[in-house]
Amino acid sequence: MADRSILFLKGHPFETSETDDLFLSAMKENCLYQYNHCEAYKNILDGLNLHPDSIKDINHIADIPFLPTLIFKHNRIFSMSRKRMLIRATSSGTRGKRSEIGFELSGLLCGLVMVMKIASWRRILSICPCNYVIFGYKPHRGNRTAVTKTAFGSTFFAPAVRRKYAILFKNGEYETDLENIIEQIVGLSRSVFPMRLMGFPAYTYFALRMMDDKGIRIKLKKGSKIMLGGGWKQHYSEKVDKQTFYQLAERVLGIQDKDIIEFFGAVEHPILYCDCKHHHFHIPRYGRVVIRDVDTLKPLPMGQVGLLNLLTPMVYATPMLSVMTDDLAVLRDGETCACGLKSPYVEIVGRVGLHDIKTCAAGAAELIKEDAL
Amino acid sequence: MIIEKGQRVDISQLNDIIIRMEQDICDTLAHRTLSVETVVSALDQLSQKIAFGAYDQKISELSSAHAEEYKEQVVRMMRRENIEYKIKMELGDDLRHAVMTNPPLGQSAIQVRPMPLGVILHIAAGNMDGLPAFSLVEGLLSGNVNILKLPQADNGLSLEIIAGLVEIEPQLSNYIYVFDTPSSDVATIKKLSEMADGIVIWGGEAAVGAVRRMAPPGAKIIEWGHKLSFAYISGYEDEDRELRLLADHIIKTDQVLCSSCQTIFLDTEEMDEVYRFCEKFLPILEGSSQMHASKSLGIRADKTLRRHFENMNRLLTRNKNCSGDCYQGIGCSLSAQTDSAPELSNMFGHVRVKRLPSQHIVSGLRPYKTVLQTAGLICLPEKRDALTDLLLRSGVVRVTRAGTMSALFSGEAHDGDYPMRRYVRITNVE
Repeated sequence: MADRSILFLKGHPFETSETDDLFLSAMKENCLYQYNHCEAYKNILDGLNLHPDSIKDINHIADIPFLPTLIFKHNRIFSMSRKRMLIRATSSGTRGKRSEIGFELSGLLCGLVMVMKIASWRRILSICPCNYVIFGYKPHRGNRTAVTKTAFGSTFFAPAVRRKYAILFKNGEYETDLENIIEQIVGLSRSVFPMRLMGFPAYTYFALRMMDDKGIRIKLKKGSKIMLGGGWKQHYSEKVDKQTFYQLAERVLGIQDKDIIEFFGAVEHPILYCDCKHHHFHIPRYGRVVIRDVDTLKPLPMGQVGLLNLLTPMVYATPMLSVMTDDLAVLRDGETCACGLKSPYVEIVGRVGLHDIKTCAAGAAELIKEDAL
Repeated sequence: MIIEKGQRVDISQLNDIIIRMEQDICDTLAHRTLSVETVVSALDQLSQKIAFGAYDQKISELSSAHAEEYKEQVVRMMRRENIEYKIKMELGDDLRHAVMTNPPLGQSAIQVRPMPLGVILHIAAGNMDGLPAFSLVEGLLSGNVNILKLPQADNGLSLEIIAGLVEIEPQLSNYIYVFDTPSSDVATIKKLSEMADGIVIWGGEAAVGAVRRMAPPGAKIIEWGHKLSFAYISGYEDEDRELRLLADHIIKTDQVLCSSCQTIFLDTEEMDEVYRFCEKFLPILEGSSQMHASKSLGIRADKTLRRHFENMNRLLTRNKNCSGDCYQGIGCSLSAQTDSAPELSNMFGHVRVKRLPSQHIVSGLRPYKTVLQTAGLICLPEKRDALTDLLLRSGVVRVTRAGTMSALFSGEAHDGDYPMRRYVRITNVE
C-alpha cells in the first residue's frame, strides 16, 4: 500500500500525468490485494483470464474489470473483516437497491488528506464562521448514506454557526420542506455571518426558482457560497444548464458564479471531483477516467461520448478500484480550460436510461425497477 | 384531470364528482341504451381524425421507436370494417341479440337476453401506449358505462383520444368517466370499484393482487395479467430466413411485450446442440441488433450496461446454470442454459437458449401455464400440426411463426379470451 500513500499524501492534487507510474503501481498493488483477499473478485479476474501482474503500463488499467455500481447493490463484497472496516456507507438508493461499501482506516486517511488538499486548492477552507443551509438529509441514526455523511462533513470546512436542513426526518420518514428552508434562508440572510448553501442541485434549484417566483431578492454576505453535489438523482429531466443556474443564483441570492462550486463523487468511487473556477471537473491525481463505447465498452478517445468508468486505488476494504457509473460523459483536453490545470476534464452529459420503458412481459417491470441502474 | 360528462374537470373536484356519479350512473342505466352503431360510427370518425394527424404531436412523444407504425395500427384497428369484424368474432350472434330457447322434451322456453355488465371500472396499466383507451373502447362496444383509472405513466394520449371521441359523439359522454388519480389513492379506487359490476385490471402480479384485495366480495374481476412467450425450434423450412425474422422480432420489440420471445427452446436433449445453435444464431442476432439499434445513446448504454452487469455477476457468483456459456455479441447476447423453464430474459437483445425435447413439451411447460402466451414455432412442415397441438395443450394460447410473434391479427383472442364476452352477462326472461 506504499504507492497509494505516496499518491494520496504527497504533491499537488492535479499532478495527474506526472503521477501515471505511481498511479499504475498503486492500482496493481490494490488489484493484487483484492485478488488474494476477495474470492468474488478473484472469480472475476480468473473468469477473464487476467492476473494483476499482466497490467504493465498506464493504458492497461482499462483492462482491470470495471464493475457496474449495480454489482454492489446486488452483492455485499468485502475484502476485509468487518472489524477492520471503520465505516460502512450506503448509496442513496434513489431507485431501488442500495450499495454497501466498506472503508478501512488507511483508505479513509487517504481520503481525508485528499479532501483537505482539494478544499484548500478551491479556497473552501475558512476560519470565518458561517451559517449552513443544507439541501440534503438531516443526519439521523438510521441514515448511513454517504451523501448525508459527506454533506455533514463538509460543514466543517468553515466553523458552523447554524445548520438548517431541507430534508427533515419526521414521523419515521424523510420529508422535503422547501417552504420552510426558504424562510430559513431569508432569516439567516440578516445574520452577520456568510451563508453556505449546499447539497443536491435539484433541490437547490427548485428552492431558488420558488424564491424567484415569489420575487425574493437577497444579497448574501461576502464569502457566501453555493456548493452543489450529489447529482440530479430522479430529477434528471429537470436538469438545467449551468448558466441558467448561475444567473438565477445571482438574481435571487446575489451570489456570483465564482462562488458556486460543484462536486461529484459516488459512494462506489469516493474521489472528490471538484470543479475549477471555470466549472470544469479536472481529473485529480487520485483517480483516472476511461470513457467507454456504449455498444462495445471499448475505451474511447478524448472528445467522444460514452459510459463513465472511474478508477482509483484509494480503498482496499471493497474491490472498487474500477467502477462503471450510469453516467454518460466525455473527456476534454485540460489545455482547453483557461484555469491553468493541464489535467483532462470530464463533462457529464447525461444518464443511461430506460426509465419510461413500458412492458407487459411477466416479471419484467419488477426486474427493470429492481435493477434500475 | 377528470373527464365527466364530456367535460374536463380538475382533480380537486374529485369528491363532489364521486358523490353525484352514483346517481348519474343510475339515470343512464335506467333510461338510456347505447347502440353499437353509435360507438362504431364514432370510432370510425376518430380513426380518420387520427389518420389526418390530429394527435401526431402526442404520438410523436411516445417512448416507442415505432410511433409511425403504431399510428397506422391504431387507425386500421378503429376503422368501421375492423370494429364490425371484431364484434362479429367476439360476440357472435348469440351475445348480441335476444333469442327464445327451444329446449327438448317439451320443456318450457325462456328468453335469453344478453345485457352489458353495467358499469366497468378499468384499471389500466402503463404497459402499452394508448392501452387505456382501447380497454375503454371494448367496454363501450359491449354497451357498458365505463370508469377508467389512467396509469401514472400515461403521457396524456389516452385522455386526448377519449376527449376526442366524446367530441365526435356527445351521446357517449354518459358512458365515460376518466380519472388520473394515483394508484396510491386507495380510498378513491375503492369507492369507484364499489360502483362497478366488473373490474378490468391490466398489469403485473402486484397490481392484480392489490385490486383483488381491495375489490368488494363478489365483484367480477377480469384480469389481463403479464405473460411470457418463447420460440420453439424443431427443424426449419427456410433456416436463414426464419432465424433472421426471429432475430428481428427479438430486437425490434426489445423483448418487453407479453408476446416477445424470451427463451428459445430447441427440440433436443443434447446441450451440444444448444451450444452449436448459439454460435450460429449470435451473428444473426448481432446483425439485426446493428440494423435496428436505437439512436439514443442513453438507451444503448443502458442495454449494454445491463448485459455487462449480467456478465460480471455471473463471473462473480460463478453461476453454474450459465457457466462459461454466455455468448456476447455487440448489442446482444445469448445464454445457453441447462434447464427447461420458460423464463424472462434480461430483455433488450438478451435471449436464453434451452433444451425442450418435444416429448416433454407438456410436462415441461405445465408449471408455467398461468403465464404462457405466444409460442413462435419454427419447424418442418410435417411436424407443425402435432407440435402446435402439444404447445396448445401445455397452456400456450397463441402459436405463430417466429417472426410474427408480436403481430396483431384481426379477430384474434386476447390471452385465451374474447374480452367483450367477459364484459356482457346473459340474462333470462320468462
